[in-house]
Amino acid sequence: MPVEALKGLTFEIQQGEFIAIMGPSGSGKSTLLHMLALLDDPTSGSIFVDGTDISKLSSSQKTTFRLNKLGYVFQEYALLPELNAFENVYLPLMMLGAPARDYEKAARGMLETVGMGKRARHLISQLSGGEQQRVAIARALVNKSRILFADEPCANLDSKNKEIVLKLLRQLCDELRQTIIMVTHEQEQRLYADRVLWIKDGQIDREEKVR
Amino acid sequence: MRLSIKDIWNDLRVSIFLVYKAITRGNRFTLILTILVTTLAFINIIFISSIMNGAITKAYQQAQENYVSNIVILPATDEKYITQVQQLKTKINTLPGVVSCSSRYAQSGVLRYDPDKDNQDVREKAWNIKSINPTEEVKVTNLQNYMIAGRYLEENDRDQIIMGREISGGYGASFQISSLKGAQIGDEVSITYGNGVNRSYKVKGIYNTYFPLADLNVFITEKEMESVIGVHNRASEVLIKTDGSVPERVYIDRLRTMGIEKEQINVWMDFIGYISGLTQTFDIVKSIVTFIGLLVAGVTIFIVIFIATVNRRRQIGILKAIGMKERIIIMSYIFQAIFYAILGAAAGLLIIHLFLVPYFIRHPLPMPIGLVSLALVRQDMALSILSMIVVSVVAGFIPSWMVTRQNIIKAIWG
Repeated sequence: MPVEALKGLTFEIQQGEFIAIMGPSGSGKSTLLHMLALLDDPTSGSIFVDGTDISKLSSSQKTTFRLNKLGYVFQEYALLPELNAFENVYLPLMMLGAPARDYEKAARGMLETVGMGKRARHLISQLSGGEQQRVAIARALVNKSRILFADEPCANLDSKNKEIVLKLLRQLCDELRQTIIMVTHEQEQRLYADRVLWIKDGQIDREEKVR
Repeated sequence: MRLSIKDIWNDLRVSIFLVYKAITRGNRFTLILTILVTTLAFINIIFISSIMNGAITKAYQQAQENYVSNIVILPATDEKYITQVQQLKTKINTLPGVVSCSSRYAQSGVLRYDPDKDNQDVREKAWNIKSINPTEEVKVTNLQNYMIAGRYLEENDRDQIIMGREISGGYGASFQISSLKGAQIGDEVSITYGNGVNRSYKVKGIYNTYFPLADLNVFITEKEMESVIGVHNRASEVLIKTDGSVPERVYIDRLRTMGIEKEQINVWMDFIGYISGLTQTFDIVKSIVTFIGLLVAGVTIFIVIFIATVNRRRQIGILKAIGMKERIIIMSYIFQAIFYAILGAAAGLLIIHLFLVPYFIRHPLPMPIGLVSLALVRQDMALSILSMIVVSVVAGFIPSWMVTRQNIIKAIWG
């Protein structure tokens, strides 16, 4: 029996905005994030990024778009264990065909930005949860992604590391005008966002301006 | 979407990067175990086929060196002997590529051996008695190098006989039942020839080539045989040894143009028909063993890659999410599989060349056609390596393709 996870959502996000999507369990917030991030296809409707309907792209075009324009931070860091932090971060640029000199320089810079410059050569297993999440953020941004999608990025972190990661996301938004769309279920995390979209039963229940 | 060379090169670069890191930083135990299995599978394929190749090579070598040499001239179908044989041999020896030739007589007879000289327990055997000119024969066959007791014949020996161990019956003979059951050096053996002539001989030498066709022979000297059958300058067969520069059948035409028209001319292969049948059987067995060996190697690699991809389904989903093309992921696993196959083959080749080949040279396997060592055929080895690589490509492709086709959401979140 088909389930309507989302029912007729329409909203806009400006460049440089930090949006939190919140709602009770099963409200459709992860489904919404997956659609926006081109990880899943809407049954109907369109998703426009800079005027382009990205929901109508072919599978390979979506792959290319994700690589070029989008960045992802997952709940469980999702880094490759055989690569060290430096290699994990430059992998997207290598996939884009950048020369080694360029992608190494960009990766080094991004790791410094997230405060992981000194741990670049460490394997992922040698990093704490918070450090891994910061590396994941660096990887998500190294390709100068237009939008960073974060799906419960702090779910597996202790409070100290949560704060570090959230402050980093806020800093990226403020200093680099990075557009961030984050799904979270923790109330206090919304305070780092510019705006909160409250989802209930697959629809936008309300919008809350935080900053 | 059209692929440019740049795209393909970049995809290869990323795939190889991922494989390199997976192998150098991955689980060492799994790596070693997988390579061990592919090594053993490869050794199994090569070992079995090289033993069989060795057996066939040995049989061919035995036939040429110890049985009939390279070419055999027999009398014309309606003749009992080749006549003017001395002149014939002189002509044959002038042919380019001929090393030497030797003539033999063959006469039926009954061998009689009374070990205790008391007419009790007399052993009799009807056989074809052959004669050789020892001086010529040593240039054409190698029997003189296989004496296990006594000595080879000399040209003027008149009451001496040499025999293969399968006739004497001792020295571990295989056909005891039809032998003289233990004739020794110095024993007396009498022969009643088909023309009624009866002679006694002392056993001068016993030889063993491990090739029954050669070891089931009895030889006296040519001079002795001519005195028995009362002929001269004739032969029942002429053996020709060639230098191998051209196939033997080429010599048949050359001999015919020399004027050898009526006599039958055969090559050594015509005398070992049963071995040709063996060759075909061995080829079938080799194919089966190779197939099974490749299957073992392929299934092992498949299982390793399958477990790797299933365990990393989430990571594969995430790689796809961040924009990695499926073909890069699949290529990386295929390269990993090829790595296992190539390393297994390389290790296998090292073990074979450094240990197995020298071992079997020092300790050849006794078989009914001789002492057999490994005969490595380059073509077989190249084909086996190529087959392993092809199998590994399939074994790497299938599981990685199965896992990468999964929907990203399902792969990451289940």
